[in-house]
Amino acid sequence: MLMKRWALLGTAIALMATAACGKTAGAPIVRFLDRPDTGGGWKEIISEFEAANPDINVELVEGPASTNAREDMYSLSLSAADGTYDIVYMDVIWVPKFAARGWLQSLDHRLPPVEREKFLPGDIRGSTYQGSLYRVPMRSDAGMLYYRTDLVAKPPETFEELAATARRLQKPPELWGVVFQGQQYEGLVCAFLEVLWGFGADVLDADGNVVLDSPEAVRALTWLSGLVGDVAPGGVTTYQEEDARHLFQEGHAVFMRNWPYVWTLAQQVGSPVAGKIGIAPMPHVPGQRGAATLGGWGFGLAKSARHPEAAWRFIAFATQPEQQKILHLRGGAIPARRDLFRDPEILKASPYYSDLYRILLAARPRPVHPKYAQISNAIQVHVSAALVGAESPDEAIKRAAQEVRGILGR
Amino acid sequence: MSYGYVALAAVLLICVIALPLAVALVGGATHYGEVFSDRELGKVAFNTAAFAFASVSLEMCLGLLFAIVLHQTFLLRGIVRAIALIPWALPTAVMAMSWKWIFNDSYGVANDLAIRLSLVGHGIAWLGRPGAAFAAIVLADVWKTTPFVTIILLAGLQSIPRDLYDAMSIDGAGPLQRFRLVTLPLLRPSIALALTFRLIQAIGIFDLVRVMTGGGPADSTKTVALYIYDVLISYGMPEYGAALTGVVALATFLVAATFGALARGRARA
Repeated sequence: MLMKRWALLGTAIALMATAACGKTAGAPIVRFLDRPDTGGGWKEIISEFEAANPDINVELVEGPASTNAREDMYSLSLSAADGTYDIVYMDVIWVPKFAARGWLQSLDHRLPPVEREKFLPGDIRGSTYQGSLYRVPMRSDAGMLYYRTDLVAKPPETFEELAATARRLQKPPELWGVVFQGQQYEGLVCAFLEVLWGFGADVLDADGNVVLDSPEAVRALTWLSGLVGDVAPGGVTTYQEEDARHLFQEGHAVFMRNWPYVWTLAQQVGSPVAGKIGIAPMPHVPGQRGAATLGGWGFGLAKSARHPEAAWRFIAFATQPEQQKILHLRGGAIPARRDLFRDPEILKASPYYSDLYRILLAARPRPVHPKYAQISNAIQVHVSAALVGAESPDEAIKRAAQEVRGILGR
Repeated sequence: MSYGYVALAAVLLICVIALPLAVALVGGATHYGEVFSDRELGKVAFNTAAFAFASVSLEMCLGLLFAIVLHQTFLLRGIVRAIALIPWALPTAVMAMSWKWIFNDSYGVANDLAIRLSLVGHGIAWLGRPGAAFAAIVLADVWKTTPFVTIILLAGLQSIPRDLYDAMSIDGAGPLQRFRLVTLPLLRPSIALALTFRLIQAIGIFDLVRVMTGGGPADSTKTVALYIYDVLISYGMPEYGAALTGVVALATFLVAATFGALARGRARA
C-alpha cells in the first residue's frame, strides 16, 4: 500500500516535470540559470527553439534576483562538475574566473571571427580570456550619465562642467546635483572606473601590471569624493542602483550615473520625470574620452556539460538577432548585436538607442583577471574610505594599488 | 539497549559534525600560517570584537532590566511578555531590511524624527559614515536580541524561591540589598548561559550586517563572518576559508567559555 503510494507520487512528479510546455519525453535536457523571467522573453525563445528542435529540451532555472547568489550557485555546481547546467548564462565579470578554473569550453572554433564582428566589441573583449572566447554575448550593459533635459540644455562633457552645472542647479535637499552608486560594493567599482578612465588612468595596463597609483588616478578619486556632501547627498555612500534611481526618478537629482535599465522605468507613465530625461556618455577631462563600465550577459558552455552539442545549438539559436530582439521587447534587455541598433522596430520603441549605441561602443570591461573579486574588494574598500573621508584620495589610491599588487603577486 | 541509542547518537554526531569538521581543519592545514599574517583578518576581528562587546553588554543590561519588569505581577503581563518577544521572533534578514529603511538618509524614519525633534538640521547618512553605521548595526542587534536575554533571565528569576526575599525583608533588607544579595548571585547561572549564547552569536554575526551595510563604508562594519564568506565564495579559496573558519571557531569557543566561566565562577565565591 505504502509502496504503491510512493510509486504514484513518483509518476506524478515525473509527469509534472515533462508536462511543462512542449517538452519531448526522453530528449536530452539542457539547463541554464537566470533571474526570474518576468517579461516572459526566455519562455518565448525556449518554446520557439523546442518547436524547431524537438530532439532537445531546454530548461530555464529561475534563480534568485541577486547576481552574486547566482554566481555562487553556478560556482558550486561547476566545481563539483555535477552536470546540472550545460549552459552557463553569465555576467561578463565571471568569465576570467570561470575560464581560469577550467569550468568552460573554449568557443573559438564554434564562433568564427566573422561572426564575432557582429557583436559589440566590448562584449566580445569581455568574453575573451587569454586569447580564447568563452562566452557568446546575449545582452549588453554599460554605465552612463542620465540628465534632466528640462534643466540641462546640453549634457556636460567634462567632469568640471558636470560638477559646476550640478552646483549651479541644485537646491538640496529637494534637488541634488548628482547621485551615483557610493556604497561599498561592486557598483562602486563600476562608477569609480568610469571616472578613473575618464581621467586617463587605469587599474592594470595592457600587460597586466598595476598602474593604479598614478597622479591621474588620485585626481579622479579627489573629484569623485569631492562630490559627496557638496553636490551629492551625504547618503550617497549608502546608495546602490535602486537608491539612486528612486531619487532621480522622483525628480530629486539633476544628474545620475546608472545602467540603461533605468530608462524604461523612468519613462513609464506616472514617473515624475517621464519625457524629461536624456542620456550621455560619462564625462572626461579635456583630451580624454568618456568611458563606460561594461556589464552584460552571455552564454558559456560548461566543460562538464552532458550534452554539449545540444547546448551549443541552443546558444547559437538564442543569440541570433531575432531572439535578442525578443528579449529586448519583452524585458528591455539591450541587444549585444550591432545590427539591432539600426533595427526600425527597436528604434521605434526606443529612439534613444542611437545615443546608447555610442555609449556601448566606448564600454570597457573591468580588469580581466581570475582574481577580479579580490581586486574589486581592494578598490571598494579604499574608494569607500575616500568617499567617507576616512582616507585621503592620495592614501586610498596608494593602499588600493599596493593591495592589488599583493593579490596579483601571490 | 541504552548503549545502542548512545552509539547511534554518537555515529550520527560523528557523521554530521566531527567528520566534516576534521576534513575542513585538515583541508586548511597548510594555510594556518597565513591566517596569522592576514592583515584584513586583524581588521575584521577588531570590528567583530567591538561589535560583540558593545551589543552583548547592552543586551545583558537591558535584558536584565526587562526581565525584572516582566517578573513583576501586573495586568496583562502575559500579553506584554509575548509582545516583548516579537523582535526575537522576526527573521533577521527581514528586520535588517526594515532597519536599513529606517536609517535611509532621504526618506528614513530616523531622520524624520530627528528633524522633527530639531536634533539635527538636515538628514544624516546613518549607514554612510563609519561610526554611525557601526552604531546602527549595534542598535539593530540590541533591538533584535535583547528579548532572548530577557527570556533566559526571566526563567532564572522565576526559579528563585520567594521565601528568600521574604526572609531578607524580615531581616530588614531594602530592595537594592535584596537584588545584590539574592537576585544577582542566584541569577548567575542564567547570566552565564545568556552571555555564552550571545557571545557565540555576536561573534558569528552575518545576516544583519550583510543586509544593512554589506560591511561598508570603508570596511567599518565588516565582520569575520562576512570576510570568511568573501574568501570562501567570492574569492573561491576553500582551503584558506577552512583554515580561517577553524581559527575563528576556536577563538569563539575560547572567548565564550572564558566569559561563561567567569560569570558562573563568581557565583561560587
